[in-house]
Amino acid sequence: MATVEVEKQTTVSECPVPERAEPATTVSGVPIAPLYTGEDLARLGIAESVGIGRPGQYPFTRGIHKAMYRDRLWTMRQFAGFGTAHQTNERFRFLLDKGQTGLSTAFDLPTLMGLDSDCPQSRGEVGRLGVAVDTIDDMRQLFADIDLEQISVSMTINAPAAIIMAFYLAAAREAGWDWRKVRGTIQNDILKEFHAQNEIVFPPEPSVRLVIDLIEFCTQQVPQWNTVSISGYHIREAGSTAVQELAFTLADGIHYVEECLKRGLDVDQVGRRLSFFFNAHNDVFEEIGKYRAARSLWADVMRNRFKARDESAWKLRFHAQTAGCSLQDRQPEVNLIRVAYQALAAALGGCQSLHSNSMDETLALPSEHAVTLALRTQQVLAYETGVPNTPDPLGGSYFVETLTQQMRQQAEEYFDRIEQQGGMLAAIDSGFFRREIAEAAFVYQKSVDKREKIIVGVNAFEEDEQKPIDILQIDEGPEEEQIRNLQRLKKSRDNQAVTRGLENVKRAAERKENVFPALLEAATARATVYETMSALAEVLGRHETGGLS
Amino acid sequence: MIAHATSPRVVLAKIGLDGHDRGVKVVARGLRDAGFHVIYAGLWQPIEAVVQTALDEDADWLGISLLSGAHMTLVPPLMEQLRKTGLEHVGVLIGGIIPEKDVPKLLELGVRSVAGPGTTIAEIVERLHKPEEPESVEDLVRRFRQKDRRALARLLTIASRGQSLDVLRHELASGPDKGRVTAFTGSGGVGKSSLIGRSVELLRSRDRSVAVLCCDPESPLTGGALLGDRLRIAKPADDSGVFIRSLATPGGQQAIAKNLDVMVGLLGAFGFDTVILETVGAGQGDTAVREQSDVLVVLLQPESGDELQWEKAGLLEVADIVVVHKADLPGSDRMAAQVHEHLNLPGARPIPVLKASAAKGQGLEELWAKIEEHQS
Repeated sequence: MATVEVEKQTTVSECPVPERAEPATTVSGVPIAPLYTGEDLARLGIAESVGIGRPGQYPFTRGIHKAMYRDRLWTMRQFAGFGTAHQTNERFRFLLDKGQTGLSTAFDLPTLMGLDSDCPQSRGEVGRLGVAVDTIDDMRQLFADIDLEQISVSMTINAPAAIIMAFYLAAAREAGWDWRKVRGTIQNDILKEFHAQNEIVFPPEPSVRLVIDLIEFCTQQVPQWNTVSISGYHIREAGSTAVQELAFTLADGIHYVEECLKRGLDVDQVGRRLSFFFNAHNDVFEEIGKYRAARSLWADVMRNRFKARDESAWKLRFHAQTAGCSLQDRQPEVNLIRVAYQALAAALGGCQSLHSNSMDETLALPSEHAVTLALRTQQVLAYETGVPNTPDPLGGSYFVETLTQQMRQQAEEYFDRIEQQGGMLAAIDSGFFRREIAEAAFVYQKSVDKREKIIVGVNAFEEDEQKPIDILQIDEGPEEEQIRNLQRLKKSRDNQAVTRGLENVKRAAERKENVFPALLEAATARATVYETMSALAEVLGRHETGGLS
Repeated sequence: MIAHATSPRVVLAKIGLDGHDRGVKVVARGLRDAGFHVIYAGLWQPIEAVVQTALDEDADWLGISLLSGAHMTLVPPLMEQLRKTGLEHVGVLIGGIIPEKDVPKLLELGVRSVAGPGTTIAEIVERLHKPEEPESVEDLVRRFRQKDRRALARLLTIASRGQSLDVLRHELASGPDKGRVTAFTGSGGVGKSSLIGRSVELLRSRDRSVAVLCCDPESPLTGGALLGDRLRIAKPADDSGVFIRSLATPGGQQAIAKNLDVMVGLLGAFGFDTVILETVGAGQGDTAVREQSDVLVVLLQPESGDELQWEKAGLLEVADIVVVHKADLPGSDRMAAQVHEHLNLPGARPIPVLKASAAKGQGLEELWAKIEEHQS
């Protein structure tokens, strides 16, 4: 009788959907065979002795640690930030109270674009999608009463990364924390901004130089800091396939390492502090294959191409975030379920830290209720499902191993294509990455519009009635308050010291010296983000608007 | 399917600071495939710049994408600016993350349609169909004589569609001389738009007004086109001395838009000192560009496979000036020498071979000195 019941439901529904996924493809459109067997592994030359290996051993396909989550769970790190530094500091302390083990900072758009809250372009955007930071004083407020030697801090910022890092380190010094003990990550990945995210200020070449300045300074002075988080997340969010995400991210990593070596930095020292950031999208097995392929490709690159000797420089450590672009505004509670499966993929893929999205993120910044449920999703995964009990539980699966190997090969084909175009910067200049990503996004959207890809609640299983959920309301207050505080500071600070600091920033940039020491001085003198960016732009130039293709 | 001759013109742009352009790029491609002429104005556009683009491009629709939540701050001044510019007829579509409660407010401001998450491309296409509002050509010509920019933009569209050509030709025959026309041609990726962008800066610094016509191919199947070249031509948002128009060239072998002579004539008669044509060179045998321009500049770049191509292409034979662009790349000296040797055989018409780099701002002065020398 159950069958009859199902059939009845299908006919009653106004929008019948395919009863099975045929032809079967991954979210990225990769065809899936009806069955995978040992023959697939043999054909691809995969065996435990070659290719797969063991957890904690080169090439780390199965994970970077021997025991993985048996020794230590992933860090549960929820991205947070809105309004003023004071408001975000309260949210941080709320999250730590709920059992979160690391902090992750979202900056507002003006800060991400290197603007101050009182710049005309910032109107309407101050504190809206993240926290507004204009000076070192905002940074001090942001982490007030938080033990920076105990809690690791992640900061998502790119074009102004060196300035924000200088704020952080100068603020830590003023508050008495030891640079050798502070731990955390700064995203500092400008290349993916050119491919996808578009938070760009300077042209590609000097932008990369700033990235390397930060890497150089922090590798030497802040030894526990991850100097760059080489990110595929945004590439995927912009509509790329899983393979594009994998290939472009690692190609970015390769470019940074090459630039570090040109600077004369030690590959082992630099390699140990590189970290990665990937998307956790809907297709569970494709995502697991992607993480596994990423680890083995990177180990190969670091060991064989760049001749790193320290094993820890071979290990690809990564943060994962569930896919924001997969969240829907129809039936928003269904997003909880999507996020749970995506988080499962990240854990099965061996992530080191994880952000799980809140169900209401297509509607607004997360409410406390929604962000708590998102964190609980990870806690259930970690403590109730048994997933962490053994490393790489899917290792040896015919299907997962085949996907892993296929993705490796396809990524290597992309490396060759980038090389053939004259390398990373030439390929950026010709619009290669943007074109590839935009075309993939278009193909995906067409398949959704044609209902070849089903999205629950959107193009199937729709409900006429929308049940609203409570969302976070941000009042317009922070913008005024932030601007008032900034203008007060500009009057009270030692403006001669600011001018001196900014002159030194310019001079260092002109001489192509590492600008970081000058940035620290300007930060301590209370120069603002925009003032410092403008000083740099006088020397480095500004990038024109992002292209179409 | 929309008839090619009357493809609606849609300007798409992002205003505000957010860089999320996945949606707008998907919509651009969807509209192209549905037969629209799509002009994408790019990211971070100031409101004044978006409105001027809509004006110059004679947009039927203006699509604005916003994912930052700043729509209630940015859309009211946009609507006000459109009104001030006399563009009330342009239908405004807002896409992005717009909370349900803000939709009525936006519609009240005069926004024609709001496309939130989950809107399909087909739904957007459906919304963008509207009847053409007929305007009398005589009235447009009268306003054109009074230097009404909107009338110029409208007449360019009419000419591009092959309508009222007799009236327009007659008007031009009795009007002042056309401006000087310089064409830039070369294969995709050679950097035509960037070099033109730098040229516009140079000419503006000499107080010369400039009109640029950018030609991009349209799909022979749908008549749609994706026209994105405005992006590389940076100019102040409110500089009325620069006029940029994107044109779709018919599918197939032609490199330039139809009835270009009339369009060029209109721009000259309107008072632009210099008209720049940008086209992808169709290569062999395509001399239509030659006929439309006083000076033809052919761009080549080193290490691009152009070394193999340029000898075959008939284009070089009709060039007045050859520019080896991206001169900072290796191999540019060798290439310039080869081309020079090939073109300047004893007894042949001497053709200058120059090196330039838009990225480094090099070679511009020399290029324009040669162009002007050629024109005099």
